[in-house]
Amino acid sequence: MNSKMSKLLAVLLALMLVVAFVPACGGAEEPEEPTDEPAVEEPAEPVLKAAMVTDVGGLGDKSFNDLAYEGLKKAEAELNVEIKVLESKEITDYESNIDQLATAGYSPIFAVGFLMTDAIIKMAPEYSDVQFGGVDQFYEEPPANAVGLLFKEHEGSYLAGVVAGLATLDTFDDKLNGDNVIGFVGGMDVPLIKKFEAGFIAGAKSVNPDVKVISLYAGNFTDQAKGKELGLSLIEQKADVIYAAAGAVGLGTIQACQEKGALFIGVDADQYLTVPGSGDVMLTSMMKRVDVAVFDTIKSAVDGTFEGGTLKTYGLAEGGVDLAPFHDFEDAVPQAIKDAVEKARADIIGGTIEVPES
Amino acid sequence: MSEAREAIPVQRPWMPVLQKIGVPVISAALAIAIGSIIVWISGYDAAAAFSALFKGAFGGPKQIGDTILRATPLIFTGLAVGYGFRAGLFNIGAEGQLFMGGLAAASLGVFLVGQPWFLVVPVLVVASALAGAAWAFVPALLKARIGAHEVITTMMFTYIGRYIVSWLVVGPLKDEGMIPQTVALAPEAQLPRIQSLFSADTLDALPFLALGRAHMGIVIAIVVAVVVWLILKYTTLGYENRAVGFNPYASETAGISVQWTTVKALCISGALAGLAGSVEVMGVHHRIFDQFSSGFGFTGIAVALLAKNHPLGVIPAALLFGALSAGAGTMQLEASVPQKIILIIQALVIFFVAAEEIVLWFVRRRQKEAMSHAG
Repeated sequence: MNSKMSKLLAVLLALMLVVAFVPACGGAEEPEEPTDEPAVEEPAEPVLKAAMVTDVGGLGDKSFNDLAYEGLKKAEAELNVEIKVLESKEITDYESNIDQLATAGYSPIFAVGFLMTDAIIKMAPEYSDVQFGGVDQFYEEPPANAVGLLFKEHEGSYLAGVVAGLATLDTFDDKLNGDNVIGFVGGMDVPLIKKFEAGFIAGAKSVNPDVKVISLYAGNFTDQAKGKELGLSLIEQKADVIYAAAGAVGLGTIQACQEKGALFIGVDADQYLTVPGSGDVMLTSMMKRVDVAVFDTIKSAVDGTFEGGTLKTYGLAEGGVDLAPFHDFEDAVPQAIKDAVEKARADIIGGTIEVPES
Repeated sequence: MSEAREAIPVQRPWMPVLQKIGVPVISAALAIAIGSIIVWISGYDAAAAFSALFKGAFGGPKQIGDTILRATPLIFTGLAVGYGFRAGLFNIGAEGQLFMGGLAAASLGVFLVGQPWFLVVPVLVVASALAGAAWAFVPALLKARIGAHEVITTMMFTYIGRYIVSWLVVGPLKDEGMIPQTVALAPEAQLPRIQSLFSADTLDALPFLALGRAHMGIVIAIVVAVVVWLILKYTTLGYENRAVGFNPYASETAGISVQWTTVKALCISGALAGLAGSVEVMGVHHRIFDQFSSGFGFTGIAVALLAKNHPLGVIPAALLFGALSAGAGTMQLEASVPQKIILIIQALVIFFVAAEEIVLWFVRRRQKEAMSHAG
């Protein structure tokens, strides 16, 4: 027994040494490549270093984290800005990620998602010479060096509602079932998501007063299986057009639509482009142009016109929200629906329609 | 669970010490080594990644503070799961008990405005322990009376607890404003940051005290860990707990009420998990919201495994997990390695600890065979 255990230990230790050695060798060879790459890419000294902290959804959510990153990348390409993304794996990371970026000299720093509101309120005063941008963050008293970037999601959702309300009455696609029911999938039952829901319902009812809108909430923004379950449940209840404002949860709802035959309205990004293979159900998307807001903010920092201590709201008029193209459904969708959307858009921008927020 | 019951035989005097300390250390080292291979294969500079990881976890007092901050709730959940394991119970629902503990602290704290801290803090800490214990009580009763498996019941209670909190923060307990969360605790109901206890002059003279976000919860955690250790080692309560964990049938024969011990064990486990909720609410967020715990109850299972369910071993085990978590951000910032690679390393730690159990199981079986052949 004694010798057996010793042997076992010896083997383990030997394995550990070998294993520890390999990457050390690898590490020695590596540095040449990474040092080469940026040298080629960077034409001149960057004018500033912009960074973002994702929420726990992280990059690859095909939603607002990715969109914010798009804004950063655009700034990198057009404004000669150095960029960095720190993903958060848990809530505790928010403050430490912001802290690290601020210490490393990044400014502006974007915190993506309302869950980081407290983190910005705490960290902004500590780093008063750093500029902060809070996507989806409302501050009662905005810190002097932070700008809250807000969107009129209800306005864009109203247009999505107009499309859904008219489509469910129509027969331009065989997935439309003739029952006057449409569905909404929300991430969390919070005021922000309520804005999507309220706008969507108002839009649908404006063109189709008798339409039944069923709303279901996933309770989070990450659980795709839950999104699929909710989608199936909505289709079971005869919904044939489903709008999801639920981050990655919506990816599961798309699967449900593809399996059981319903049309889907995407959110945040033009999901026809960001979710490959979804074209057969993707009627349109309600785009929330986080990329525009992030890019604009970086640009303002570069130009020296960054306005801290404010809230900036992006609506239809500012190009901050909009409906994506119909893509594969472009020819199928009747002109009447397209006209109705254009009319609603003009009325909202013109102020004739006031879209409810809750 | 069954492993916990089988882990009795003491073959050589040095064996338990080696098993308790040597093997977890080797497991952790192996996990980090293999993790570095994965980092390397993924096309990153492993050496830079791990030096950044180390820097982010121990590079200075602020970084050490971040490690402590992240280890604090894990000490409690590790103790919770470990205490259950010692009675042969797998409290997989520490997360739910943690939520209830956090809820107790966050909701009760709002009513105790204007009282001195030396009154408020103990009241909230005890209340959250009771809330955690209460949340474990029904599963405990179900286990003791009708044998309903605690893995199922505590897990289900986790869902119930989480959704109760989820509902309360968007409903009755919601603070004004856009964000679904409770009202912030008054300063006297908060656990202060360690550095805030010292004057600026002291911090200048002793810079290692500037521990950033680390709060007094760590002191409570260490005290509780020692108390749990003393209970297990020196009290009848702890003896019965361990006896039932080793062999419930023999314990019953020896006159220990297995049912009553089960109830006590799960409730104490729940109370410890509830404390994790209170330190997060009182020390970090100062309020409760839907996602205030990043799965600390589940990570606690890994911590307990790594600590081999020893209450004092839980402290270094939690610090290791805290360090991995704290260093991940720096690793991403400086070596561009995704933070989530840390989750792979954590998983590998668990894997090797579990693998060691498998190896020992084979060794023991061989031994038994050898003995039976000899006999």
